[in-house]
Amino acid sequence: MFKKIQQKILPNEEKPEYNPPKIPVPPLKNDFINELKKIIHSPADLVIRFVTNNITIAFIDGLIETQSLDDNILARFEDTSDETPSTLRERISIPEVNVFDEMIQCIDEMLIGAVLIHINGHPQVVLAKIPSYEKRSLEAPENESQVIGTQVGFNESLNTNITLIRRFITNPNLCNEHFTLGKETRTSVSVLYIHGIVDEKHVNTVRQRIKDLDIVDLIDSAILAELIDDSSSSIFPQTLLTERPDRFCDGLLTGKVGIIVNGSSMGIICPFSFLEFFQSREDQNLRWPIASFIRLLRFAAIIVSIFFTPIYVASLTFHYEVIPQPMLVPLSESRAIVPFPPIIEALFLELVIELLREAGARLPTKVGQTIGIVGGIVIGTAAVQAGITSNILIIIVALGALASFTTPNYMMGNVIRIIRFPIIVLAGFWGYYGIMLAFCFLLIHLLKQSSLGAPYLAPFYPPRLKDWPDSIVRLPLPFISRHSVNSRSRKEIEKSKKKKNTKKQRQNSNLTPENKEKVIE
Amino acid sequence: MKKTLSISESELINAPLLFFIINACQIGVGIHGFQRLIYQDAKQDAWISVIISFIFAHFIVFIMIKTLEMFPSNDLYGIHQEVFGKFIGNFFNLIYIFYSSFAFLVVLKNYIEVINVWIFPNLSATFLGASLLMIVIYAFNGGFRVLVGICFFSFICTLWVPSILFIPMEYSEISQLLPLFDNHLKDIIKGAYAMTFTIIGFEIINIVYPYVKEKNKVQRYVHLGLFATLLLYLSIMLISLTYFSGPQLEKTIWATLNLFSIIKFPFIERVEIITICLWMIIILPNLCLFAWSTHRGVIRMVNISSKKFIWIFSTVMLIFILFIKSRSQINHINNIFSHFGFVVVFVYPLFIYLMALIRNSFLKRKRTN
Repeated sequence: MFKKIQQKILPNEEKPEYNPPKIPVPPLKNDFINELKKIIHSPADLVIRFVTNNITIAFIDGLIETQSLDDNILARFEDTSDETPSTLRERISIPEVNVFDEMIQCIDEMLIGAVLIHINGHPQVVLAKIPSYEKRSLEAPENESQVIGTQVGFNESLNTNITLIRRFITNPNLCNEHFTLGKETRTSVSVLYIHGIVDEKHVNTVRQRIKDLDIVDLIDSAILAELIDDSSSSIFPQTLLTERPDRFCDGLLTGKVGIIVNGSSMGIICPFSFLEFFQSREDQNLRWPIASFIRLLRFAAIIVSIFFTPIYVASLTFHYEVIPQPMLVPLSESRAIVPFPPIIEALFLELVIELLREAGARLPTKVGQTIGIVGGIVIGTAAVQAGITSNILIIIVALGALASFTTPNYMMGNVIRIIRFPIIVLAGFWGYYGIMLAFCFLLIHLLKQSSLGAPYLAPFYPPRLKDWPDSIVRLPLPFISRHSVNSRSRKEIEKSKKKKNTKKQRQNSNLTPENKEKVIE
Repeated sequence: MKKTLSISESELINAPLLFFIINACQIGVGIHGFQRLIYQDAKQDAWISVIISFIFAHFIVFIMIKTLEMFPSNDLYGIHQEVFGKFIGNFFNLIYIFYSSFAFLVVLKNYIEVINVWIFPNLSATFLGASLLMIVIYAFNGGFRVLVGICFFSFICTLWVPSILFIPMEYSEISQLLPLFDNHLKDIIKGAYAMTFTIIGFEIINIVYPYVKEKNKVQRYVHLGLFATLLLYLSIMLISLTYFSGPQLEKTIWATLNLFSIIKFPFIERVEIITICLWMIIILPNLCLFAWSTHRGVIRMVNISSKKFIWIFSTVMLIFILFIKSRSQINHINNIFSHFGFVVVFVYPLFIYLMALIRNSFLKRKRTN
């Protein structure tokens, strides 16, 4: 149904491609300057300088490196009248110098950090690319912190992010395809994958979906992630957004496709399965029994987080007989003065927790602590004393909220918390039967989802026994086939069929965390 | 309509999944109270009846798959049309469609009855039916792979249930199984016949077969699935026979649920309330695959989209549910269904196998001539 509505909102008609009018470069100096100013509406940061009688240079202040301009361009000019664009091009000693004869193209380049050099009398412009990237320094990732492992996160510059990835994977097979997205913003987007490991099918899908996009602006990778999702109407994220380069490279090395958007500090990894959202990079760095324990803990946390409050509501509304007598006494005592039915009580408390979380996320860090105190102590204790809620429900709700924060992915953690609300309502009306309805609905919904056409519930359904050692537990590394069957290329499958040099291959492809750290050092 | 199926590569499933399909389709509402029906005939040898019925089921499944192997890319509906021609074939198809939808109705109504009796006496059957049908519609629209996925997760989610059934064993009395073979063989066979209602479900292989990737492994996994069900039924039967006394068992409609109800944990009592609700995920594959089986037959005769079909089908089923009200009516319908099911599942495959053999040899002779 959603798809139909979507199609109505966004009619899928073929739109004409973006074709700006072609304006030739005027040969005369003054004409060139006038034309230039006309096209980009003479902004205040446009710099036009006359170097000699013949030569004019133009650039946008702040987008280029002035040091390089002095050393490599201005110092190379000779005051001769027989200067031509081609001779000038040879003399300028920077990597990227081009000659263009079309104004719009020149200005596009100028806006990403090129210097225009115009010689009077020639209908061409020499373009020297010396962009300067204003960027934040590399910092530890804040949203996906981990105790053991590399402490470096992406920043907002596309080039820096790709450099970071190349530090991890020094491999000629690492492919980088460039796209420009957004009619107004013209944002650079890079699609990365490792040739030979990746399933070409996935690369083609990503390429096709990006090419099919017809959008006005692209400010963040999260928007791109939603746009290329299989089903954007689902509440579940189908692509991973990560700010950790090691997680990103992990994805590439397991045969996934990565996307980096300029100006966004989060990379996209796809296809991604439901289970992988609950795994953390750190699981690979810890010893396997500990990693397995933590993973199992996380899965228990999901179940607690989704079903604990609904079970409380259902039990106290309909199924008193399920609770043993010794437990029933404290429960009814704590509920004795509460005037509401359990469903109202639970919804109220859940909303309070959500309010606290949202307030904590929006406020500055220093005030955020105060919010914790206000919420936890003042509202919690006062609500019980005022007789609005029961003690036990506060414990259950707090436990549920706490459990939802163990999910290593912020997007998925949100989902886990939000889907509790409809289940509480169903539990309040139809008890365990309502919870079961919600569970079945959820299960079918998850079964229906796919990520880039790959099944969302893999490796459990369809069952891929080979991937099970690295699913809800993590067995020792030799048990883990590095590339999940889901995203292996043909070549890889043939190799494993032959079963030759399997051990060697595993060692090669199994970049241990220690090695990776060495690489980044 | 077209005679052979065209199934896209993405719709095919791996043979091991057949294990879950067979298992999920067999276990449904019958397991709640099959002990009484069998005990009535076979007394303390009821467990032998269970084994006999399964031996017969294994044989029938073997014949079924042999028949299907003669027409590798066709389901039972297509075989009907090929063997009997279009007109008579469609008549048989109608019977099978009727059987599938009847099975759907019986499963749905029995589950609603259990919920009404054990948990929510006041919740209307219309609501329960409608909510279950909504889930079925939602699953059905996901396509065949989603339905198989439900079978798989139905198995996984309920793996723990049999293990807690061993708790009542501490009150069981082994001597109640003695004397062995005290009853007449005829009674034991009769008991096996009474198993029909509980054991059927594996005939879904008739429809699933063309969707399986590795056809040579079908036999193995279908028999494995059957065997797993046998183990479950047999252990429940043995526990019930030793836990309940004879007259008690004759009066208990839902013996398995009664077994659940005495289980106690420090934090939970009356486990049957939880398991009955959990049973939704066990009957869901039943409902989905029976609806799907009906759909496969209907599209051979009428050109209808699957979305339209499931809505019409669900509406019809909901109307039927409203007509069946009392427990005696349900018993009556269960009775009719188990006789009808015996003919369709246990007798008819032999007939169609013979017909297919005759047709094939006839065709061969024709070709050599």
